[in-house]
Amino acid sequence: MNDLKNTINRVLSDEGDVRAATAPYQADFPYDRDEEAQVTRREFCNFLGLTSAALFIGAGGFAAKAALDARKSESFVAAPIDGAAALVPNSSMNFNYPAAGDSAILVRTSDGTYHAYGQKCTHLSCPVYYSRDHQRLECPCHEGAFDVASGNVLYGPPPRALDAIEIEVRDGQVWAIGRRASTDEHAS
Amino acid sequence: MRADNKERSSAGQAAVWQARLIMLVMINIAQLWILAATVDAALAGRYTVLVPLVVGSGVCFLVTLSIIRWWRPTSRKKTSTGYVRDNDR
Repeated sequence: MNDLKNTINRVLSDEGDVRAATAPYQADFPYDRDEEAQVTRREFCNFLGLTSAALFIGAGGFAAKAALDARKSESFVAAPIDGAAALVPNSSMNFNYPAAGDSAILVRTSDGTYHAYGQKCTHLSCPVYYSRDHQRLECPCHEGAFDVASGNVLYGPPPRALDAIEIEVRDGQVWAIGRRASTDEHAS
Repeated sequence: MRADNKERSSAGQAAVWQARLIMLVMINIAQLWILAATVDAALAGRYTVLVPLVVGSGVCFLVTLSIIRWWRPTSRKKTSTGYVRDNDR
C-alpha cells in the first residue's frame, strides 16, 4: 500500500521533482524555483529607488545636452548651394548648412522664388519634405505642415516656425548666407 | 490577547509596506512622464521648460529616497513619544 502511495506521489510529482528529472544542467545550479522567483519587498523598494535615480539622471542628461546645444554659438559663412540653379519650379532639394551635419531644404516655388529652411521639424526633429501637390512643407511623423513662403506652421503639433536659412542669388548662383532660428511659439 | 495584538501589529506593518510600495510606483510613473516631457522639450527646442522638469524629477527622486530611507514601519516598542502599548507591558 505504501509502495503504491509512493509511486502515485512520484508520478504526480511536484515542481522540484520535475526540475530534478528534466534538466541535467540544473545539478550545477541547484536553486529552488521558489527561491529564484522570490523578490522581497525591501529588494523591490530598492529597485524602485534605483529606477527613480536612473530616471532623474536621464532627464538631467537630456536637459544638459539640449542646453549645451543651444549655447553653441554658430558663425555663418556664406556658401553656394550646388545644384540650386538647375532646380525646376515647384521642386526641392536638400543641402547642408551651416555645418555638414545640419540638413536643410531648398524649395523653388512655382513662381520661381527660392526659400530655404532647416529640415528639422520643430515638433520632434523629424525631417520635413516638400509636398508638390499641396505646395507646402510637411512633416511625415505627426502630420504637421509649414507654409513654404514663410516657414510658419499651417497645422499640426509643431510649436513654432521652421528655422529659416537666409539665401541670396549672386550671378545666378544661390548662396546660403545665414540661419535664423524661430523663437515664436505657435507662429502661424 | 497578546497573540491578537501581535497579529494586528503585523497587519499594520504590512499596510505600511504596501503604502510605501504604492507611493514608490506612483512616483516612478510620474518620473517616466517627466522624462518623456523632457525628451519632447529638448527635441522641440523649448528650453524654458527643461529646468522645471529636471527639478521636478529631482524632487521625485528625493521623495523616493526619503521613503526608502526613513518611512519604515517601526516597532510598537519604539514609538516617537515613548508610549508603550498594552501588549508590550
